Amino acid sequence: MKNKLSIDIGSTYFKVATDSSIEQHFRDFNKDILDDLTHKCATTIEKFKKEDIYICSSANGGLSTLIIGLSNSFSLKYATNIAFNSGINIIETLIHQNIEEYSIPSSLIDVVIIVGGIDSASGLFGDSLYSYLEKLNYSNIVFVGSNTDALTLEKNIKNLVVLPNIIDNKLHIVEEHLKTYLTNLYQLDIEGKEDIKNLYAITANQIYSTPYVVNKTLAFIDANFSVVNPFILIDIGGATTDIHYSKDLVDENIVTRNEYDRLVFKKLGVYKSKESLIFAAQSNEFTYELLTHLKVTENIFEQTSEKATKVLMQLAVFLVLCKMSHYKKAYINLKLNSINSIVLTGGITKVLSDAEVENIISFFYIKILNSKHKPKIVMDYNYDIWTLGIKNLKE
Amino acid sequence: MKVVTGVVGNDIHVVANRLIELSLDARGFEVFNLGVNTYLEEFFDAAVETQADVLLISSLNGEAEGWAREVKLLKSKYNTLDDIIMVIGGNLVVGTASADEIVPRYKKYGFDLVFHQVDLNTGLDTLEMYIKQRDVK
Repeated sequence: MKNKLSIDIGSTYFKVATDSSIEQHFRDFNKDILDDLTHKCATTIEKFKKEDIYICSSANGGLSTLIIGLSNSFSLKYATNIAFNSGINIIETLIHQNIEEYSIPSSLIDVVIIVGGIDSASGLFGDSLYSYLEKLNYSNIVFVGSNTDALTLEKNIKNLVVLPNIIDNKLHIVEEHLKTYLTNLYQLDIEGKEDIKNLYAITANQIYSTPYVVNKTLAFIDANFSVVNPFILIDIGGATTDIHYSKDLVDENIVTRNEYDRLVFKKLGVYKSKESLIFAAQSNEFTYELLTHLKVTENIFEQTSEKATKVLMQLAVFLVLCKMSHYKKAYINLKLNSINSIVLTGGITKVLSDAEVENIISFFYIKILNSKHKPKIVMDYNYDIWTLGIKNLKE
Repeated sequence: MKVVTGVVGNDIHVVANRLIELSLDARGFEVFNLGVNTYLEEFFDAAVETQADVLLISSLNGEAEGWAREVKLLKSKYNTLDDIIMVIGGNLVVGTASADEIVPRYKKYGFDLVFHQVDLNTGLDTLEMYIKQRDVK
């Protein structure tokens, strides 16, 4: 990556990395991203040609989806898995047979996914689906269920995109087509944002989504870090928290070709999503014990000091691990006692020390898992994971 | 005809499960094998996704009864499974008990056919007969 410039636009900060240095700036939300970037890093950017500047962004926070399926164990589970891995936020999952009992989300849904049945099954969806969709406000709709039913659905649902079934004839998952569709939609959404579009003034290369770049790094993460598999990577940002994890950590009936999966917690961040992070913390019965352990009181939530940011970061790590454990029944539970390394990247590495992270992780293992397990903590202080990922995209 | 099969609960008798799959396949059934350690909800969900005609649950460690008690309640939550043929077979009790005792119990739980310590082929012959008789009706 000689003489290349990499830029990452986050919801709170942007980072600019050359071969020899990396700088990070807090975003000015009163300014367009390009104006802000060129104002703060003009001298660096000017040294590079458009062809040598690579940009990725997570500033759009991802797309939203509502999934309608036939069963929890197959259609909904498979579509949810693919959506999460494509960086999509799940708003709601509905079982088709009970569709009349669900309320209609008031917000605009970016993409509705309808799924269910192996290809030989037919007549699976009926009028209740069509009347639900009539009341729903959405931008895109895709069908990835039984191909026998595809024609009927196409006739009844306007602008329906039909893709190959994600359930094969052995009831196994087929990820490829839906994943590509959703990833492209996410990419188009990023490129469609006015703020992001303007960035093409300084780059001649495609602008990627940051989680996609990070996920691509995982397979060769040991090139830069002494990480022992299986591991999880936690990326705590201003608006969202991402977890990337080895597939070995999941006991599931989903067999895929991906070695690593990803989960996004949209409302768990320390800046833009601070309010919802605090709300999540206040709803967790262990939070007060944790605050005592950290020798602070609840008043810390009202403060904006450096100490308060540190506590919020520690809370975010704790809450994310809770969400992935048996303690909170979430989308997926990881075998956290089998983890050999926990890698932390993002803004957290600029705020917390190794000892502070170790402190919170051992608190989690003792309190929630009743275990003395101590995974190795690896801090990505210099954003090497991101630079490694973007470098590999280029090559 | 489509059959969803698997071993219920915390039971890892994979060889028996494979034999059932092969025997069903040889008799011309379209088989969806969920394997071992399968939860009851997964059986019903698979039946919905495949539009199966038969749900054949097997158990060898005898713990099936704990799960079987939930069958009626769980099945009633599905709108499309009223006509599915419910079959259970294997070793259906912990300890010893005669088929005369066990079969009526499992029928009460919601199974149409119950095979306790019955040879696999005999059980499948009975299933085929049952399907024929039902089709005639």
